Amino acid sequence: MKKVDKVVDPNWHRKGDQRLGVLFNDGKVRRRREWRGVKDTFYDYTRWLYIMSILARFIVKPRNIKAMFRYRWMANYLAVPHMLDKFTMGLRDESLRIVHTSLDFVVYDVAQTMEKVFRGDRKTGNDEEWSRNCVLTDENAMTAFMMGFPDVNAILREVPTMFVANLLTQNSTTHYLDVAQEFGLPGDVCPMPEAEVGISIEDDFPVLGCCAVQVNTTCDGSLMGNGVIANRLEREYGIPTFQLLAPMRHREDDVQTYAANDIKKAIAFIEEKTGKKWNWDAYFECAKRVNDATRKRQAWLDINATPYPQFVGAPFSLYNDTNYMGNCGRSALFPPVDAKLLKYAEEGYAAKRMMAPEYRHRAIIWGVQPQYCIDMLNWMVHCWGVVPLTDMLSLVNTKMIAEDDTPENREQAYYDMAWLNENMIMRNRTHGGYKVLVDELWEFCEQLHADMVIMWEHMSCKALDGMHGQFEEQGRARGIHIVWVCHDLCDPRVYTKQAIRDQLSSYMRTVLREEPLDPSIEVLPDDNAW
Amino acid sequence: MRDLKHLIYFEDLLQTANNELIQQAKADGGICAAFSCENVPEPLLNVGNAFSIRLFAPNTGSFDIASYYMTNLLCETSRALLERAVEGGFNFADCMIAPDGCTMMNRCVENMELLKTMGGDNEKFFWQYMEIPLKCDENNLELYKLQCINHILRPLNEAYGIDISDKSIRRAVGEHNRVCKLIRDIGEFRKGPQPRITGYEYHVLTLATYVCPKYLIMDKLEETLEELKTREPDDNRWRARVMVVGSEVDDSGLIKLIEESGAYVCADRFCFGSLPGRDLIPMTDKEDALTQICRKYMESCQCPRMMNMEKVYGRKKYVSEIAKEYGADGIIYEQVKFCDPWAYERMLGSTMLREDYGYPVLSVDRPYNIASSAGQMRTRVQAFVESIEIKKIKKGEAQ
Repeated sequence: MKKVDKVVDPNWHRKGDQRLGVLFNDGKVRRRREWRGVKDTFYDYTRWLYIMSILARFIVKPRNIKAMFRYRWMANYLAVPHMLDKFTMGLRDESLRIVHTSLDFVVYDVAQTMEKVFRGDRKTGNDEEWSRNCVLTDENAMTAFMMGFPDVNAILREVPTMFVANLLTQNSTTHYLDVAQEFGLPGDVCPMPEAEVGISIEDDFPVLGCCAVQVNTTCDGSLMGNGVIANRLEREYGIPTFQLLAPMRHREDDVQTYAANDIKKAIAFIEEKTGKKWNWDAYFECAKRVNDATRKRQAWLDINATPYPQFVGAPFSLYNDTNYMGNCGRSALFPPVDAKLLKYAEEGYAAKRMMAPEYRHRAIIWGVQPQYCIDMLNWMVHCWGVVPLTDMLSLVNTKMIAEDDTPENREQAYYDMAWLNENMIMRNRTHGGYKVLVDELWEFCEQLHADMVIMWEHMSCKALDGMHGQFEEQGRARGIHIVWVCHDLCDPRVYTKQAIRDQLSSYMRTVLREEPLDPSIEVLPDDNAW
Repeated sequence: MRDLKHLIYFEDLLQTANNELIQQAKADGGICAAFSCENVPEPLLNVGNAFSIRLFAPNTGSFDIASYYMTNLLCETSRALLERAVEGGFNFADCMIAPDGCTMMNRCVENMELLKTMGGDNEKFFWQYMEIPLKCDENNLELYKLQCINHILRPLNEAYGIDISDKSIRRAVGEHNRVCKLIRDIGEFRKGPQPRITGYEYHVLTLATYVCPKYLIMDKLEETLEELKTREPDDNRWRARVMVVGSEVDDSGLIKLIEESGAYVCADRFCFGSLPGRDLIPMTDKEDALTQICRKYMESCQCPRMMNMEKVYGRKKYVSEIAKEYGADGIIYEQVKFCDPWAYERMLGSTMLREDYGYPVLSVDRPYNIASSAGQMRTRVQAFVESIEIKKIKKGEAQ
């Protein structure tokens, strides 16, 4: 089997709590906050105050209070501070600052999204003029087609209702899954679009916007769920929907014109419905920011290819989701955050900073994460010394798009937007044939010097499941440890958090014959936790 | 009714994927173009000396090997096909053309390729994956044409020297239309109150037109059509007339089971059924043949993956119109287990057909081979038939 040199910090000393298991009991939240030494505890406390201030500023508005009582999923947002604690467990110094910088900004961005949502929502804020300036878009869609509409709000209403809610509390989707299944949807489809359909059936989505743009995003379930949601939007709420297509074989030259032509149609649709004209100046300004984000992302990954990875795991993935896809260059607030993250990562690398006393294995995370247990990536560093170098959802576009306003680039821009649309997270790997899903995984293992692949086996993800045997056989032939971690995406009734972690633990013990770095967290009593 | 003269012959053809007519066509020098999805324009696989064969896996038992490669959560059709391919059951094919349509069928074919299940010693064998339309408009039509050229016609020509001229395509459409006309004419006998052909018999004939070289079954279909014209129908033994809508039905046993439960299957709107799968392709001289074929396939496509809302609503309207035309009392929405597109379409379709169009609807999932779950399905269908009868009685009382 492939081996990587174990990296050990000879001077390892973690300030404050040494055994992280002391933080847990069987309750919804931790027994107490983590002690990280004076400096880092103070830093962490100031960030906690910052998060609380975001929540306070949000909840003082009457329409948001109204939303709290109107929407079942809103209660999940009480757990925001707890979510941050999950991702910062055991971290100190630069790694603590990286997680706070990235995820605190994600929290801020989601709060802004919810502000916009409830302002226009017919059931709460009902600001009709505001609503007329909003376009609903898919949670999993690139918002590239909005880059030239600086005065129109792209509303990703599924992000707060489903995607983030399940990060916050593990049981957030179960009710909506039941609703969809009671309506006749089988229980074996992907629970993410299924939950979104359930939210729509229960009429628990905020309703706003002059139109909606849907995309065939990650899978057949997602594509099909859109039809159910659009049916309600159009027939009940009179919100016209446009179905923007992203080709399946997105690496092929003979589909690019097709994709670009549909981008043109989507833009024309939005122009017609909003009455706003496409703005090329705004577009190319955004394109520069997209390229800047691409460069930064590559720089983070370059550091992760060294023995001292810095910006890793779920925070990288979640920040990238927000920046690359939800933002897609449209906000000027992201580049300074990107730069700050790079600064911390470079400082951490220069100081050879580690998150655990030793790094035994370097892992690429492949497949689709269990949304309610994605903090497991932080756990496995501390428990087993396995470093999650990067994940499938973060390995997205690396090409620079045209950023200067010339006549040729205006035509190229449609192809660039189409390219970004085709390369939205997840679907750039789940679609496009086995080469992008299987063959390129082994290339990434080489580039990042990984000896292990944590293979999330989301049991309802047919695109990944369909290559199960190929991963198994090709991984074995290359001497790469393939650790299967099965789950059901956002339904903890099928796999509990501990059942998910146990799969890695049993591989580490039985196959690799290793003992945990921190045995106190091998079993965590968090079945009842948020 | 008296048995159809050629029914046993057609039933025998469906007992194995590599049937005797395929072997005969290959012995005649034919090139077998295999395909796996109805979104592949079939006439284009019948140009020159090529003949199309749709892959299916009759008498499927276990999927052990396929389940290892694709887990047991992928749709049973895709696993059945992979299993059969691994067993060597499709070694007759000279090329494989698969649209990247539904994810599971795509993965099935990719596994077939990676496991080198087909081709054997044939150095000319090729695998092709097509992009297919997701919507119905001119942009998608242009894509369809380009994909057909790049992934069907040109590879056939380059590998096997097959004539892909407009004239050759028109000849293939002519043959295709002859088969379609025969099947649709035979299907007309399902319409009356006393149908002259059972749904099971019709399914056997229709399925044969996909999995056998067309020119070799034409004579028997013609004879069958003639036979039906004078066939004495049974007295009305059916308790209800139903239309079956959903995933591909490769196992005629499902139709037989439904009919044994008292429901006459009067219309077949499922993948590789006759509606709209055996629509004729109208041809004119004003446009090239390829454009006309692609337009027809795109416009008549009822695949749930077509995602523009005109198509989403249109699919339900189409079902309603067919149900009306064929006199269906109820609709059975079926979905092969684990099929995502039909899982959603079944949910929305059954709701809309019930609430917007007023049809009684049975919504079920089913295995690829119905024999593995016959009792459960029979119970569901029997209950559905009874519910239709009760509705009829109540309607009569009300009137």
